[in-house]
Amino acid sequence: MEYVGSALDGLFITKEGNSRGRVGRRRYSNDDGTEYKSKNLHAERRRRQKLSDRLLALRALVPIITNMNKATIIEDAISYIEELQNNVKVLQGHLYEMEASSEEGTLPRSEEIDPAEEMRKSGIQAEVEVTQINGNKLWIKIIFEKTRGGFTRLMEAMTAFGFELIDTSVTTSKGAMLVSSCVKGIHGEINEVQRAKELLLQIINGI
Amino acid sequence: MYEETACFDPNPMTEGTISVDGFSVPNNNFEVRLSMEELSYHHHNNHTPCHEDVAIDIELQQHLAFNIENNNTNNTTTNLDNTHLIDNPYNLHEMQDMDNFNYHQQQQHLIDIQNGHQNFDCSSYPATTPDLLNLFNMPRCSASSFMPNSSISFSNPTLQQNPTNNYPNSLGFLGEVPTVTDSPSGGSVFYDPVFHLNHLPQQPPLFRELFQSLPHGYTLPGSRNGSLFGTNGVVVDDREGCVYQEDGDVRQFENVLEFTGKTRDGETKHFATERHRRQHLNKKYDALRSLVPNPTKADRASVVGDAIEYIKELLRTVNELKLLVEKKRCGRERSKRHKTESEYGSGDLESCGMKPLGGDPDQSYNGSLRSSWLQRKSKDTEVDVRIIDDEVTIKLVQRKSSCLLSVSKVLDDLQLDLHHVAGGHIGDFYSFLFNTKIYEGSSVYASAIANKLIEVVDRQCAAIQPTSSY
Repeated sequence: MEYVGSALDGLFITKEGNSRGRVGRRRYSNDDGTEYKSKNLHAERRRRQKLSDRLLALRALVPIITNMNKATIIEDAISYIEELQNNVKVLQGHLYEMEASSEEGTLPRSEEIDPAEEMRKSGIQAEVEVTQINGNKLWIKIIFEKTRGGFTRLMEAMTAFGFELIDTSVTTSKGAMLVSSCVKGIHGEINEVQRAKELLLQIINGI
Repeated sequence: MYEETACFDPNPMTEGTISVDGFSVPNNNFEVRLSMEELSYHHHNNHTPCHEDVAIDIELQQHLAFNIENNNTNNTTTNLDNTHLIDNPYNLHEMQDMDNFNYHQQQQHLIDIQNGHQNFDCSSYPATTPDLLNLFNMPRCSASSFMPNSSISFSNPTLQQNPTNNYPNSLGFLGEVPTVTDSPSGGSVFYDPVFHLNHLPQQPPLFRELFQSLPHGYTLPGSRNGSLFGTNGVVVDDREGCVYQEDGDVRQFENVLEFTGKTRDGETKHFATERHRRQHLNKKYDALRSLVPNPTKADRASVVGDAIEYIKELLRTVNELKLLVEKKRCGRERSKRHKTESEYGSGDLESCGMKPLGGDPDQSYNGSLRSSWLQRKSKDTEVDVRIIDDEVTIKLVQRKSSCLLSVSKVLDDLQLDLHHVAGGHIGDFYSFLFNTKIYEGSSVYASAIANKLIEVVDRQCAAIQPTSSY
């Protein structure tokens, strides 16, 4: 009914605001009467159509349907969502319990590749390259052995030294990780390319 | 007395129909008509000439009483108080003219009058109407009275003998009225329990039609009776123009007050229940919006759209979790079996309901791929997590600062193996795409990833904000 009301509002251009406060309509009230009336009618009709389509889609999703009017669709959807959320919580609880009491640790990690082996096999060497772009920016390229948590340690170290990665690309292949990035100095300009390179090498060796 | 009838507006109808037709039926009809006119007239006059009315009413009633042939033994003419009837020698004249009126119009008028009478006489309604009915020997159904032009003829019990083919279909049920009203319980259809039983089911739709034709301001006397209209208050309410203040069904009453668009001051009448309905509906929309995790716009269509997406996401999550639980359970059972296999030398891999692929005990998928996808948004951060099998793709868009460090920490915590990262600074935003693999044995699920990421990143932003230098 509110739609009817609002359609009527559009047609009769009443000053009385409807529940949704469509200000735009009121602005057109006295000019170009018929033109805006029909535009509004179309727009309003489309809006109503859109809402009713969506309500239909919502109803199609919800398995429990009581009545078929707008209010009950929404009610049913609310209760269904709550039920699903409850299910999720329950399942998460199950999972958590199972995690807590799991015996996963006994499974051998037979699948993990030894990165150092891989690297050596493929002839990849750890390396660092540094180039200066402009006053504050450097471009770096680092290849190092990929280990669990290695990237994190690299990031920590770089942040500690004042390097901030701006545009980054990281790939992993054959047990090695390639970091290619544009680096900005947090604390001011970085002019010493050589020093940066040495620093990074140090970092990598420490990982 | 009259004040009670808030919105009765008998004018349009009564005026037109006054006095023209002669009642072919010698009896009560003209009196009824009279009273109708009188009623309207009286209404117009705003109830000023009470006393005279009383006198004449009484006179009329007595007159009427004589004319009533039927089972009405009531000379409760005294009960017909001033409320409904008016004076007028004018009316008396009409009484004579009435003989000329044709049957149909008589009926109408009868009904009209009756209704008018009923409309007026709110307070004394219970007391008077039966009497009046008895007097007029008319069934109480007033619907037809509102259709001056209709050919509906209200059946008068006295006129029973007349063919009922006068009655239009819509008032077919009225046609049955005479039989009902013949019962000694009185002319009042509404008071007749049998009538209710017979006609109640039919009434709402019929009344609906009738109501639709009602000129505004007219009420159905029956509206007062909740039992007639009780089922669908809305339907009835749309038509009710008038208010019976003394009637028992307050709810009906309220609806009557509020719904009709046909009253004189139509718009104000919509408010109370319609407003409640709207408020109720809006509350429901708000409840829905509060359930959904990423509410964006506030309008109804997008609330429903968000709800649809969220329901789909919840279904995905539930499936994912089920799969994980199943996998874990199988894994546990399998590891137990591994332990016991060496002892008992056999394992039943089917027990957990999953068939391993290629005989590899760690491949516990039953041919279906785990897939899951969800999005989470916070004020400055958007996270999109997609999981296919054991690969997790995370897309992160963040407004404030570059968060690679904290993100990589989180990923480590979640046991995700970072394979590929790409991204950088775009305008105001930092956008990154992470391709990761789930470490073997970890049962992390999508929503956990997303929530944790958002939490960490937001925390970092909040922490960084005060220290950023402009």
